[in-house]
Amino acid sequence: MSWTLIFVLAGGVALQRLVGMFAGGAVLARVPVFARLAALIPAAVVAAVIVQLTFASGKSLQVDPRLAGMVVAGVLVWKKAPIVLVILSAAVVTALLRLIGG
Amino acid sequence: MTNQRTKARPDWGLLLGIGFTFVTLGVTVSVLVLERVGSESKTVVAAIVVNSATSQLAYLAVRDVGGGILAALAAGWIVASRFGLLAAGLSSRLEVGRWHRALIGLQSFDPNVGVAIQQRDPRDVVRVFWMVTAAMHIGWVSGTFVGVFLGNVIGDSQRFGLDAVFPALLLAVIGNLLRQRPGMVAALVGGVLCAALIPIAPAGLPIIISVFGAVVALKVRPAGASQ
Repeated sequence: MSWTLIFVLAGGVALQRLVGMFAGGAVLARVPVFARLAALIPAAVVAAVIVQLTFASGKSLQVDPRLAGMVVAGVLVWKKAPIVLVILSAAVVTALLRLIGG
Repeated sequence: MTNQRTKARPDWGLLLGIGFTFVTLGVTVSVLVLERVGSESKTVVAAIVVNSATSQLAYLAVRDVGGGILAALAAGWIVASRFGLLAAGLSSRLEVGRWHRALIGLQSFDPNVGVAIQQRDPRDVVRVFWMVTAAMHIGWVSGTFVGVFLGNVIGDSQRFGLDAVFPALLLAVIGNLLRQRPGMVAALVGGVLCAALIPIAPAGLPIIISVFGAVVALKVRPAGASQ
């Protein structure tokens, strides 16, 4: 990966963020229903990222110790446990199941 | 003075959790990137200027399987399009000038937007956004340095379950949104759409299409809303 490619990749990522902030945001602000939509977008997009990080292995879906870690994290989030406990528990459960599973 | 407002106080537990998560993310990603680009300086600079772990990984994944440079760049850009969506979602809550808005746009990421958008006062939206962003960057940059210079010592980070840390953090970040019916529906529909599309759609597209979860959730009334 050359220096040029690093900056081209970075430029494309930055441009999308700016387009979202200025163009996308302006459209969302113009119509009241879009303002409600804007408030719900993070829940939908972040949930999709969670699904991808929990189940995806390349282009296939698989159930592995990550899911157990996320179930524990989900219960702790529901119980309003401190965030450090949530993420450490997810890591420990995932690591232990991998250890047991060899 | 009766109209003084109370500033949102830093939630140190949240900031610590986010900082720790980004240390683990920085370590994991920098080890993978260093293996492929073979240069410590490029790994560190890429982490800082691209400012997106998923974009770097998507680019390298396409190159790993023999894909061309343009295809790899496209993959890196597509997976980053969610940041544009998140920035658009946050935009209407900001009462700041153009340059400040641009800076916030350039730093839009899942955790900082997810936490900031839940603040009621527009000034708290900005304040909390930057607090979370600072925690993210401190963790991300220090984790990158640890991964680059101590990656060989640490070995396979999955052994420690570190790949579960980031999704667990994101779940905690949207926890309050999930307690409201529209937020729960948006997340469920977005998540199911993403899962259904992962095997058949190009990388990054399932996450973009997950936005329809928010569209579906528009039909859902919050609990206790009048008919």
